[in-house]
Amino acid sequence: MKTLLASTLLAVISLTILWVGTDGVRAFTAEEARRLEVREHPKPVPNWHLENQNAEAIALGDWRGQYVVVDFIYTSCPSVCLTLSSGMGSLQKEFSEALEKDKLHLLSISFDPEKDTPERLRTHLSHFSGDGEQWVAARPTHPVEKKAILDFFKVTVIPDEMGGYTHSAGYHVIDPQGRLVAIFGVEEYPKLQDYLALALAEGETSEG
Amino acid sequence: MKVRQGWYLPCLVWGVLALPPLRHALELSMVTHMLVQLPALAFVGWWLGQTLPEEFKRKIAPWNRWGITGMVLVVVTVLYWMLPRALDAAISEPAFEIIKFITVPLFIGTALSLSWFQLSSIAQGVLKLEFWAMFMRLGWLYMVLPDRLCANYLLGEQRILGRALLILGSIWAASWTLRILFGVRWRKPRLLASNPSLSEKK
Repeated sequence: MKTLLASTLLAVISLTILWVGTDGVRAFTAEEARRLEVREHPKPVPNWHLENQNAEAIALGDWRGQYVVVDFIYTSCPSVCLTLSSGMGSLQKEFSEALEKDKLHLLSISFDPEKDTPERLRTHLSHFSGDGEQWVAARPTHPVEKKAILDFFKVTVIPDEMGGYTHSAGYHVIDPQGRLVAIFGVEEYPKLQDYLALALAEGETSEG
Repeated sequence: MKVRQGWYLPCLVWGVLALPPLRHALELSMVTHMLVQLPALAFVGWWLGQTLPEEFKRKIAPWNRWGITGMVLVVVTVLYWMLPRALDAAISEPAFEIIKFITVPLFIGTALSLSWFQLSSIAQGVLKLEFWAMFMRLGWLYMVLPDRLCANYLLGEQRILGRALLILGSIWAASWTLRILFGVRWRKPRLLASNPSLSEKK
């Protein structure tokens, strides 16, 4: 009897823990978890300072009142950053109207600031026909700030065997109130398109 | 090595595992994290369970008849630490690392040592088979999956781990086959042998 009681109680408690620990059997990996988390609890993005490809100081808060899509890259990346960057290039083409009206900005942040000088960031943008105005590339100016930014977005960067990095890759959407509201994986580009189209259209009607 | 050496030796080993040099070394790679560190922690807990005083074992026996309660605890703890995000959290968040160092030894190792030999042989067989099947399933999954499961480990690591799990599972299967078909038996180290005081009280 005691055993029945103890084991049932324990089973209930531990199933609850497993339920909570997987966000209700929805997220088994850290990547799934971070996407789900911002969807359900948008996080205000601190106003970090960065240095852009023209060596000018910019701040994330500069674009308050518009949507910002952020990706994390390093310019010597041979793999996933290329996919991300061409995705950003497509966004630049597709949402040119919103970009021109200052309703949207694209931002690529390098997590390899030692190597990625403004000059290299400029070259990187030119590879993907980035204009440097509506699509900006930037680097953190201080290691502490770099760590804070990566921690906030929960971007994990690990060294790979080729002297480069492997990292969490995705498009991070910041809304006009300056909150991180969605993260889309590299493979979710169509979803990102739909999300932005809808969000920007809503912005139009509320102003109209 | 005598079995009843008191509780301080397993605690010492636990401390060594918890100290930064060895801890970081084992967590550098997904393979050593999952196939060395976690089993070592569970083993420390088992060892600790073997040194517990009889008094304590008698006290908890009514709450753990046939080892059921203990096995529930073991199964869910194993399930939890198999989640890729749990492994990631242990590396990037100190709180989860502490939880890992407490739950893996106590809820897997110690719980097993207090419960395993009270289980009926059928239940033992089912659990062993299920555990072995888990090795084979996960091994296959890790080998073929195109995506990284852990943000802190490379895809290559994941594939090596998958292969290692399949190899271990196969060795295990082969040794069972030898035992069942030809009666080959290996002598168990005394530390892993059953504790007679518990199995007497049927």
